[in-house]
Amino acid sequence: MQADAIITLLAPGLVPTKQTDGVWMYAPELDVRAMAFLMVGEEKRFVTITAQPAEAGRHRLIYHWDVDGLLVNFSTEVADGRAVSIADVCPAADWAERETRDFYAIEFEGSTDRRPLMVLPGDEPGFFNRTREAGHDADPAKTSYLDHTAEKGGAK
Amino acid sequence: MSPTIPMGPYHPALDGPFKIDVTCEGELISTSDIRVGFNFRAIEWLSERKTYTQDVALFERVCGICSNVHTLTFSRAVEAIGGLEVPERAQYIRVIVAEAERLHSHLLWAALACSIIGFKTLFMTCMDLREHVLDLLESISGNRINYAMNRPGGVNRDIKDPAGVIRAVRAIGATAGKELIPVLTTDVTVRARCSGVGVLTRGDAIAFGAIGPVARASGIDQDIRTAAPYEAYGRLSFEVPVRHDGDVFARIVVRSLEIIESCKLIEQAVEMMPEGPLRGDNFPKIPEGEACARIEGPRGEVFYYVCSDGSQTPVRVKVRTPTFMTMPTVRPMLVGQTLTDLSLIQASIDPCYSCTDR
Repeated sequence: MQADAIITLLAPGLVPTKQTDGVWMYAPELDVRAMAFLMVGEEKRFVTITAQPAEAGRHRLIYHWDVDGLLVNFSTEVADGRAVSIADVCPAADWAERETRDFYAIEFEGSTDRRPLMVLPGDEPGFFNRTREAGHDADPAKTSYLDHTAEKGGAK
Repeated sequence: MSPTIPMGPYHPALDGPFKIDVTCEGELISTSDIRVGFNFRAIEWLSERKTYTQDVALFERVCGICSNVHTLTFSRAVEAIGGLEVPERAQYIRVIVAEAERLHSHLLWAALACSIIGFKTLFMTCMDLREHVLDLLESISGNRINYAMNRPGGVNRDIKDPAGVIRAVRAIGATAGKELIPVLTTDVTVRARCSGVGVLTRGDAIAFGAIGPVARASGIDQDIRTAAPYEAYGRLSFEVPVRHDGDVFARIVVRSLEIIESCKLIEQAVEMMPEGPLRGDNFPKIPEGEACARIEGPRGEVFYYVCSDGSQTPVRVKVRTPTFMTMPTVRPMLVGQTLTDLSLIQASIDPCYSCTDR
């Protein structure tokens, strides 16, 4: 199935943006599990998920797929830090979801593996969120696990 | 009772830290669990606090082996946002350095693989040949590891001795083609040690999003250089080796044949490289926008996403490295394999934890 047909099936009525780097589909309410089922069924390759803070505590989640050499980007949004996991449908997404949880505290409902991937075991998710709140010039070491737990009364 | 054997994070066969717990039934591995993050440096976070110029230097340090692919991918994403044209000569220079980097990366991997299987003499041959590739890169860039060649809009240095590059790459290709690759791909010991070991089926390769030589050894004909050509690759002639067995030996064969293809690509690129500028006059101002870039690194597809708000600092940079995708494929590779093959199987994906952890 070609990229255009996939996009039409997943987001009927929305017009994709074609750029030099691939096709972009801005679909905040996209059913990501339907997307995953369709892509995996068509043997399209999962590339990664990009999370990005948006206004009013929202986050963008961009799902990147390779469709026969063409990069297809589905830009979705989550409002309350809760997204739907696709890792059971697409195992390739498991580490991307866990890393996104580490960095931006986005919980992927349905995920069977909630262990941290990049940060230390026991660390609270949201490393990038915390450092962002601390300011542009914050020292990342000051927002690390040890200092964070020390602030909360934990052992240092 | 099935014992769980923890290995790592400091591994006897590799310098990169990672942890793998394997559960065995007798000597056979039934399940495994992989942990990474021991080398996490928050480079994405750092990049959002530095200027584009500083970020080029930062991304050069994501990886000590494939440093060039990171600056190239970042530069290409920035160029896509800014609509920057890269001069034709710079496109060829980018190909030459990228392929030389693939050469030394593949040779290092071959050396380590030989060391793991106990083939010490071939280890020395690989490392000796790799030194010649590093000499070549030093002659081009002045550096043996971090070449500092790329910048948004072009390259920083010219290739001043094209004839010398051709001489060097012909000698490297001749040695690889006559002394190294025939042994690697036909030697009875190598074949006996690696055939049928650590099989990744085509179905698992697709499910786990495998890329690069790991995917191509499992029958997936996929290479960003041909699927979505960039720089001068669309004007060059080369083959993408694909094998279907999916085992360690298939990965050896794919990478070995890629060494020959890289030599051919460098030679062609030097011969076809036109005269002309290397870059624009000034570092460009990056407008508001977002873009992705992908290139085929030595270990597979490197992916960058860059978002700009028009300031000197990117709002968001996402870096997805090849090993981030290929490391999870080790789990299906290990099922039913003997514990003694664990080192060889995990090394066969050519893992890089510096890249993975960023």
